[in-house]
Amino acid sequence: MKQLLHFSSRYWMLPLLVISCWAAQAQDNTEPKKKPKPVKNTFDGLMLGDIQTVMVPQKHTFTLDIQHRFGTWKKGYEDFFGLFAPSNIRLGASYSIFNNFVVGAGITKANMLWNIEGKYAFIRQTKGRYPVSVSFYGNIEIDSRKAENFIYRSDRVAFFHQLLIARKMNEKISLQFAPSVSHLNSVEGYYSSPGKVSGVMNNDQVTFSFTGRYKLKETMAVFFNYDQPITKHRSHNPHPNLQLGLEMTTSAHSFQFFAGNYASLSPVKNMMFNRNDYREGMFLIGFNISRCWNY
Amino acid sequence: MKKRIISSLIVVAAVMMVAVISGFRPTPKPWSVPEKFLKMTNPLKADADVIKDGKGIWVKHCQSCHGKTGLGDGPKAAQLKTEPGDLSSSEAQKQNDGSLFYKISEGRDDMPSFKKKLQDEEEIWQVIIFLRTLKK
Repeated sequence: MKQLLHFSSRYWMLPLLVISCWAAQAQDNTEPKKKPKPVKNTFDGLMLGDIQTVMVPQKHTFTLDIQHRFGTWKKGYEDFFGLFAPSNIRLGASYSIFNNFVVGAGITKANMLWNIEGKYAFIRQTKGRYPVSVSFYGNIEIDSRKAENFIYRSDRVAFFHQLLIARKMNEKISLQFAPSVSHLNSVEGYYSSPGKVSGVMNNDQVTFSFTGRYKLKETMAVFFNYDQPITKHRSHNPHPNLQLGLEMTTSAHSFQFFAGNYASLSPVKNMMFNRNDYREGMFLIGFNISRCWNY
Repeated sequence: MKKRIISSLIVVAAVMMVAVISGFRPTPKPWSVPEKFLKMTNPLKADADVIKDGKGIWVKHCQSCHGKTGLGDGPKAAQLKTEPGDLSSSEAQKQNDGSLFYKISEGRDDMPSFKKKLQDEEEIWQVIIFLRTLKK
């Protein structure tokens, strides 16, 4: 009987052993697993040259932008390689409401063009989860010149939508592909047959933009942009844009200096009306300065 | 004899000038760190990746005042009202990680607060690990 009791008490221990092993394992499982964090600094600013980047600054960041485009350097010394030619300027400001959403507004000298813009980052490149970062950029432009320049009030308005897909390849190289649709409410027309008016251009323009950045050091990088118009219009087809530049960043500033074909500071006007052909050497110099504050 | 008196006077004047100028140099105020921070330890281990990330943050946000190697000789240092100090010195290095975390987060006088700029606390810990590599 004593032996039986001893035997049964040993077996009684078995479930206890199993439970304690399970508890130990469960304890292991509850140890906080390190969540993979999104990749940082795919690019260093909201824009690179004339193109939006996939980046959205962290929440409560206020950014001021000054953008400047000189004339083309085609005339050479006559206007000192475009530096003394009429220039275009944009003043803008933006604020990140959340970590993945920024809104902004600005005014451009040419056509006194106001714009309201927003960017939403919905995927951030994360090791083992997302191979790329993806953001959506939307922009509404309003031409604020006098009413005599327009037939309808809606003629003042244009829209721009862009999907930004980027990957930080390594610490040095970041690449971005950005298809976009530009929409003009009003385009020039002509009589295609008696009594019938057709548009010289389509109201919409699809463009594919490619961007690359190579970091020379932590605070300095070289970059390129190439924009290829896809839509074919009856006439007035825009030229592609080729842009090469240098970017310098500090804790709160970003300075970009570049040469390219885009003369406007509006994405719609650049994508739909670029008349500067890089094959004819119609480049112009531009720079962007931005300063950010964190609140 | 006259020459000797004049040269002695010049030496005395020079010594007095140095004394007066050094008297105007502000001595750093003590920077007290709350108890909570003194007890904090760095959750990161110093490996090559962490040091590299910390260096990236240092170059972008700290180097302009503190200099490349923490000597306080960055290009902006001369414009500061307070001296950035020598972060490679044993005096600076003897501070624990929690104290450095507090000082970087909160800032004081010319030293800006980084808690809003570096919202991910991990970045501050990374820069502290890099700072340890500057030790003389």
